[in-house]
Amino acid sequence: MMTFDQNAFQIIFTASLIASSCGLLGVFLMLRKMAMTGDAISHAVLPGIVIGFLVSGTQRGLEVIIGAGILGILATLMIDWLRKKARVQLDASIGITFTLLFAIGIILISAFAYRVDLDQECVLYGEIAYLPIDLWITDSGISLGPRILWIAILNLVLVLGFIGLFYKELKLTSFDEKFGIVIGIPASAINLGLMSMVSYTTVSSFEAVGAILVVALLVVPPATAFLWTRQLSRLIQLTLSIGVIVSIFGYYLAYLLDSSIAGMMVTVAGILFFVSVILTRFQVKSRIGTQIEAKAFSS
Amino acid sequence: MIKQNANPILEIHDLTVSYDQSPVLWNVDFSLPSGKLIGILGPNGAGKSTLIKSIMGLIAPSSGYVKIFDQDLDKVRDKISYVPQRESVDWNFPASVLDVVLMGTYGKLGLFRRPGKKEKELALSCLEKVGMTAYVHRQISELSGGQQQRVFIARALAQEADLYLMDEPFAGVDMNTETAIFQLLQEMSQSGKTVIVVHHDIYSAVNYFDWFIMLNQHLVASGPKNEVVTEELLRKTYGGKLNLLSKVSELIRQKEFNPLKE
Repeated sequence: MMTFDQNAFQIIFTASLIASSCGLLGVFLMLRKMAMTGDAISHAVLPGIVIGFLVSGTQRGLEVIIGAGILGILATLMIDWLRKKARVQLDASIGITFTLLFAIGIILISAFAYRVDLDQECVLYGEIAYLPIDLWITDSGISLGPRILWIAILNLVLVLGFIGLFYKELKLTSFDEKFGIVIGIPASAINLGLMSMVSYTTVSSFEAVGAILVVALLVVPPATAFLWTRQLSRLIQLTLSIGVIVSIFGYYLAYLLDSSIAGMMVTVAGILFFVSVILTRFQVKSRIGTQIEAKAFSS
Repeated sequence: MIKQNANPILEIHDLTVSYDQSPVLWNVDFSLPSGKLIGILGPNGAGKSTLIKSIMGLIAPSSGYVKIFDQDLDKVRDKISYVPQRESVDWNFPASVLDVVLMGTYGKLGLFRRPGKKEKELALSCLEKVGMTAYVHRQISELSGGQQQRVFIARALAQEADLYLMDEPFAGVDMNTETAIFQLLQEMSQSGKTVIVVHHDIYSAVNYFDWFIMLNQHLVASGPKNEVVTEELLRKTYGGKLNLLSKVSELIRQKEFNPLKE
């Protein structure tokens, strides 16, 4: 009954790519105490998706990604403006911004429903199981493999590029933004860049895992990894490993129970998190603590 | 008592800063000489941190301007160093002591370049100056308050600046650390660096600094120690708190008998 065929591999591989993109960005969102900004963005992009859809007439157009990207940045700016200029608390600013934009998206969908083949369902819940039959076929009729796999590869390459180029700036502004500003690092540009990447990743992933479950992949693997380490490079490695583990177990559990793969992935991530909380709290922490101690003294 | 300087390292002209329309600093106007160890004194809410933050461009003033080395801030960022309050960051951040000190070199590195061997050596020598060599690879979440403060000062040293602004570097540190940090600041000012420190304890301040800025929303005084540390000016700065005032007169008396006084 357990199979490892090409379809299984493609689905697990694509899921791992998406989990990695989300995890990499999620680490920095978490360190900036902005994990819920990721949630806000994933909902706030809805009007952008609808407008992009209306312009291009297809769910897969570049216009959809651009529309979502613009709305993501708009949401970031709105949250920032409410917090800094209108002096609304951060959590309230997030709540106001994303519900408002999400609601506008819903209104747009229902207003244009007669000419749009797009509904809330397809944005909120993706279905990665259809991946092997949704192929990218060139004009000359050659199949290049699953379309969503290519989208996920492109997404991860861009996320890796962004973090690789701005690693030191992301690290500094996540730790001490004011110091970064003082020494002349363009902190707000870095922040906007990160938020644009989050918007883009959200939209790029929603077909496969859905907008809600993207949030889980942004938040849960980094939070789990943070329970185990206080070293940034290891935190990132661990986040990526958790993403892969979650994809493998999520796929096979969904297969066994005949349920949603994305839903199962997040369930596995949640279980891993709670197991980590219990393990790090009750026994293993003392062991790891002494290891760190020993290292500090030996060096 | 505001003593202006002909060739100031820092000049503040008619600076007014407000939060939500209520001014925190009113018409602050002074200039500072270079190579001095300068203390900013004042009671809670006097606007000491606000003053430092406006000098560093973190708060936009309602009116007035700041000139550093006779230039705008943006042109001289690489010559200025900043030590924020220790509580302003989350020390649970996943970084080692060395990582944090290396951040001091990021400004000179510019975008895209990663710190290399040269930066690492500089960071290690800065950690040596603050006596933290034994903790280079320690995670910052495992440091005590005094150690955190030393790490922040090492990070500022790694900027290799000429002007240092420090926001309460002595807050919540033990006597040992306080003395060690103070000695370091003294060495820095002797080698020609200018160090401006926000300090809340007037008793130790008298021993530490050679130039004082006294602040209570308005500027009360700015000048060398022997000219501005007077009962009258301290009373003006700290208001009419009676028991404090009697201590202040005692302090003045002590100061007059202080053999270390210049």
